[in-house]
Amino acid sequence: MSLGKEWRTFNAVFRRNLRLFTSYSTWLIATIIWPIPLLAMNIYQYLGVASSRSVSTTLSQNYGLTLSGMIIVGTVVYLLYNRLLWSTGNSLQTERWMGTIDVLFLTPASRLTMLLANGLSSLVEGAWWIVAIFLLNWFIFGIQLTVTSWPAVAITLVSTMIALVAVGVFFASFFILSRAADQMASSLQAPIRFFSGVAFPVAALPQALQFVSLVIPVTFAISALRATLLSGGGIVDILNQLLPLYLFTAVFLFVGYFLLRIVEKRAKKDGSLYQM
Amino acid sequence: MSPAVETLDLTKTFVKKTLKGSIFKRMIRRVTTKPEHVTAVDHVNLQIGEGELFGLLGPNGAGKTSTIKLLCTLLVPDQGTAKVNGYDIVKEPNKVRESVGVVTGGERGLYWRLTARENLLFFARMYDMSDHVSKPKIDELLKLVELDGRADETVEKYSRGMKQRLHLIRGLIHDPAILLLDEPTLGLDPASARVIRDFVKQRLQREQKKTILLTTHYMDEADQLCDRIAIIDNGKVIGLGTPAELKKSLSQADIIQINASNVPEAAESLLKNIEGISEVALSFDDSDAGRAQLRIHTMDAESVLPEITQTLVSKGVKIHALQEIEPTLEDVFIGLTGRKLRD
Repeated sequence: MSLGKEWRTFNAVFRRNLRLFTSYSTWLIATIIWPIPLLAMNIYQYLGVASSRSVSTTLSQNYGLTLSGMIIVGTVVYLLYNRLLWSTGNSLQTERWMGTIDVLFLTPASRLTMLLANGLSSLVEGAWWIVAIFLLNWFIFGIQLTVTSWPAVAITLVSTMIALVAVGVFFASFFILSRAADQMASSLQAPIRFFSGVAFPVAALPQALQFVSLVIPVTFAISALRATLLSGGGIVDILNQLLPLYLFTAVFLFVGYFLLRIVEKRAKKDGSLYQM
Repeated sequence: MSPAVETLDLTKTFVKKTLKGSIFKRMIRRVTTKPEHVTAVDHVNLQIGEGELFGLLGPNGAGKTSTIKLLCTLLVPDQGTAKVNGYDIVKEPNKVRESVGVVTGGERGLYWRLTARENLLFFARMYDMSDHVSKPKIDELLKLVELDGRADETVEKYSRGMKQRLHLIRGLIHDPAILLLDEPTLGLDPASARVIRDFVKQRLQREQKKTILLTTHYMDEADQLCDRIAIIDNGKVIGLGTPAELKKSLSQADIIQINASNVPEAAESLLKNIEGISEVALSFDDSDAGRAQLRIHTMDAESVLPEITQTLVSKGVKIHALQEIEPTLEDVFIGLTGRKLRD
């Protein structure tokens, strides 16, 4: 494996995706608009039944969180999860729809590098969402960030993104096997949202259900980001969240890579990869 | 000199999938019944010399595309083996892929929202070509197929013929020694198809000395372009030789072509019963339901003609034209299989 070659593959896919993304004006418009209603929905589901002050007081007393802080971080991580899972996990399936998968598999390009490039290229879009969410909250809710270590915030964000790309790599193979990528990804969205603490703290769940949260990488990402952005946590304070996140990354990446090889091998036997 | 492409008992079998019945019935069937298999490529033995333009001629479903996919390593054989440019398709797939350019064609296989130039640049990068090498090459290829004037328009605006030309040069981007062209003129109008054929013959074979394996179900295309042809049906090679050799194999036979109307479907079997007739192929005109064409193989046209005309007229058939013709590859296929190439 040559690093130069992997970089060229990564660069080619990354640039292609950016070009494709900017060629669809409707998608650009949707990207700009999407954070707004999503964030509003997450906040107003509480404000529809109680005042902001009373909700924040309850959250602060019981979980050490403010309403806007809890929602901002949960929404940001959920958006990233959504974007990275779809862009990475669905990328080979998309190539199959386009009819380009066989041509791509004839090139010497690494499949894993292609997947990583597909995932990370969507971060350009994801970066806008992060900025948009924070700007919205700044102007509308005047959120107070309590950050003592910006490196800790950066490390958490980067670790989160890499973990979510790894999850996407893992699912890329399943999406090809099942040919029902949309349905599979959609069926995961609600459980992830529910169990990982996007819209309410995990601690609010019954004890038995909290165990489910422990097997979802998004849970640790949200927890670590809330600690560093809202509670002044440093690296040491979030080690309990970062280490499981790194473990998930390693496992999903490792298993995903081998699953991909198995899927490709099987597809060469039964010809299924190239059929719509 | 060793062949550029060589296959030895190359075989590929697929499990036949049926979606008949509800999901529960299908699940039960999967557990209780043995899966049915379809042999797409059946012990194929071929040798293609360097610089040869070799045709694989057969109807839809004959195994042409499966053969291409095996040779370019997108499929692995169940039995047998093949060597492409001296490399084994199973043991050295990466070397094989470096040696071949595959052109599949059709509406898919390109990024519609990218320009032709962007598509080619992307694929060049995926072949690990640096931009300073690939960019002048791309300019040269675009000029070769006369797409240079519209290279910076998105592919979605291209006609079918233009997309096919782009497919062709995409297959050439890494300068492979061997080209595998899978029905390159499928769905094209006659003028566009002619452009592609001329390009393949003149530019690719004669000028660039590429070895080309071309699959097609158009017998005229195979006849016009190919140095040698393998006729394939149901996965098996049933005829092999130059176009002249294949047609000569029927030289003993007379071919009678009859254009008629009001022809009953039973005409084929009725005429086959006449002594001295070996094969009959009936095809109806797609544009005019009342018209049909009969191609009749016989050892002695003179002796069977009276009975042929009597049989047809007695069934109410109106004969518009009757002539004895030179055998074509279509006749070779009829002689080998008893059916027309388009059936």
